[in-house]
Amino acid sequence: MTANTDPHATLRRLFLTLFLRGRSPLGGKKEKAPTSLHQKLTWTLLLYAALGFVVLVFLRQPLFGYAAYLHSMTFVFIGMFVASSSGEVLFCREEADILLHRPITPKALLWAKVRVMVEVSLWLAGAFNLAGLMGGYFAMEHGLRFVIVHVVSTALLALFTAGCVVMVYLLCLKLFGRERLESLMTLTQMLVAIAFVLAGQLPNLLQSANLKVSASAWWVALIPPAWFAGLDDALAGQASLASWRLAALSLVVTALTTWLAFGRLAEGYQQGLQTMNETKGWVRATPSGRPLLHRIVSLPPLSWWLRDPVTRASFLMTIRYLVRDRDVKLRVYPTLAPYLILPIIYFLQGQGKPSGSLAAAAMAATLGLLPIVVQTLLQHSNQWQASEIFRRAPLAGPGSLYDGCQRAVVFMLVLPILSILAVVAGLSRGDPTLWMLLLPGLIAIPVTGLLPLGRGWVPPLSQPLDESKSVRQGFQLVGAMLGSMLLGGLVVLARHLGVITGFLLVEMGVVAVAYVFLRRSLFRSPWPEENG
Amino acid sequence: MLHLHSLTKNFGKQVAVDGLEFYVPAGQIVGLLGPNGAGKTTTLKMLTGMLAPTSGTATLCGHDLLTEPIEVKRKVGFVPESGAVYESLTGLEYLEMVAALYGIPSEAARIRIKQFLAFFDLGFDVLSEKLLGAYSKGMRRKVVITSGLLHNPPLVFFDEPLDGLDANAAVGFKALLQSLARDGHTIVYSSHILDVVERVCDRVIIIDKGRLLLDGKPEELVVSHGSGTLERLFTQVTGGGELERRAEDFAKTFAK
Repeated sequence: MTANTDPHATLRRLFLTLFLRGRSPLGGKKEKAPTSLHQKLTWTLLLYAALGFVVLVFLRQPLFGYAAYLHSMTFVFIGMFVASSSGEVLFCREEADILLHRPITPKALLWAKVRVMVEVSLWLAGAFNLAGLMGGYFAMEHGLRFVIVHVVSTALLALFTAGCVVMVYLLCLKLFGRERLESLMTLTQMLVAIAFVLAGQLPNLLQSANLKVSASAWWVALIPPAWFAGLDDALAGQASLASWRLAALSLVVTALTTWLAFGRLAEGYQQGLQTMNETKGWVRATPSGRPLLHRIVSLPPLSWWLRDPVTRASFLMTIRYLVRDRDVKLRVYPTLAPYLILPIIYFLQGQGKPSGSLAAAAMAATLGLLPIVVQTLLQHSNQWQASEIFRRAPLAGPGSLYDGCQRAVVFMLVLPILSILAVVAGLSRGDPTLWMLLLPGLIAIPVTGLLPLGRGWVPPLSQPLDESKSVRQGFQLVGAMLGSMLLGGLVVLARHLGVITGFLLVEMGVVAVAYVFLRRSLFRSPWPEENG
Repeated sequence: MLHLHSLTKNFGKQVAVDGLEFYVPAGQIVGLLGPNGAGKTTTLKMLTGMLAPTSGTATLCGHDLLTEPIEVKRKVGFVPESGAVYESLTGLEYLEMVAALYGIPSEAARIRIKQFLAFFDLGFDVLSEKLLGAYSKGMRRKVVITSGLLHNPPLVFFDEPLDGLDANAAVGFKALLQSLARDGHTIVYSSHILDVVERVCDRVIIIDKGRLLLDGKPEELVVSHGSGTLERLFTQVTGGGELERRAEDFAKTFAK
């Protein structure tokens, strides 16, 4: 960063630097410490670029369908990125003491942050669309025109997406007031994440309609990515009246969203920041929450399950953070939203279709990942330095603390989500034999929570937040996902071969052995190397 | 220079600052004292535009806090208690960023930063290469103090500024405050270290539960209340009189 007297440029450069370096690296010298996010970004862009090749399958389709596919996937990717990072970026509590007393307007601050989010969104979009653009350039009649128009429409899509997320936050602020903003943020972010996942189902609709979707279908106007595909079609494709209508819609809605988010509602942003800065004089933990939690924990079966006092203390601390801590909630619950929605979509899509078994296996695979995803998220916290207290305690290693955290995840998140999905699946009155396909994923859950991913077996909330964005952790989770998908594939194969019962028995045996081995290793593991 | 007009802040039903009203002329060092939760930090955050008052307002350097917030921020310096910084910037990057926000040209900013470095005995190499996340508490505090004074504000608020500073740096800092006041800068100094306040400040304001309890010159207040020291006066007016006896009783619970 170099000094420049333009506050807007300074803020933009500041937030871009913070995005690339992370907000709280472990220290050290400038050129050494913050490489992880750079690496992660590079790998993420490469991954997106590789994913973009899938779109070439649809190259022979009419331009509208092709552009709609590109835009829907871009919409999901950008939407998930903006939704997952916006809470942390827009309402960073620590930032108040640094910036709120400086002579900058809330609008300038908001615009600088959003500009960086849009900029990074465009990098992601650019990487994903690269193969599609090249394919379009060579295969389409007006290839060059398509490339130019698609780049513009993608930029508009990125602006629209970021604008939508900011607008949702600011509307919540306006409608529900400053006092309730903090509790609403998690719910808002979850709903936004779910909305993006659902909107991204356009490719599935296109597939189920054999890709003969045209701009003239009435329902297409309900799906945002189709508006931007209409812009592509109007300027580089058929230029039908329906395409022009969608194109006009894309321009009007983007302009309206931008005006609302960054113009009309931006003044309320300062109120939000000030709310984050307020130290509530006397905050009750949760109304009657503490006694209730203590009562539950002191009664069987939880009192049997949590006999060890260290495990119980870690269990209680994890649950309190999952209920109270804004940063933990903002990271955990929106991440869980797709895990709740995707299995339902898989399951409902699979009803009465030959692909039903694959859908069920995919659901099981997704569920199997749940404990380790949450457990990995819970390793990190803004308050990681407070975990020194665990090392000062007379404990040989982090085993009991990790164990308590894992039990809290199962009790607080895994069991409720499984219950919800069971109710949904039960109401759907589907093929009961599909349920057998869910079992392998569920049987694996006790073991997946014990896998030493992320920084390994560490106490909960003991690692800096930016470490959660490391390349290693990203690769580990992708590896776990592939393993989980492999399990799903094996289940389908076992069912096809008629050996599902045998498969389940073998899996149970493997899981039992792995469970015993992992738990023994966990309780023997020493303290990991200290941070900083 | 600083005039509070019935400044009030409520957090829900709790009144954090209750109609605070006082005037500080230019060139004065005012100690803002009070027990934990008295409303000192909330008052400072309102005066620096970080919190919106529930009612009332203040005039700072001739500008109204509510109607001219940006002008107020330009004229005011603030060193917050938290010492929060962007840890993934180097000290130099951070200070240059702050300078830019006040419209200080980069060359002038660099010269000013070097002057602060010399005063605080900090090396330029450390400042330009090491990320703030790797600084000691004292070094970080020096950077935060520098960031509050970089734009030469006529009115400065300090919230526990000595926290983390070593003895030499603290002595230098106290001398700096007195020199600044002689040159016409107005300083509001919030702290729990009462002997420092007694030595440095021309005037003390003691608040509790958001209300003004005492306002005057330290020596005059001590004499008029027959307290002997500012510390005794403070415990006397804020209800801490029985602390020594309570400490003795509590110490007995440690006996084996």
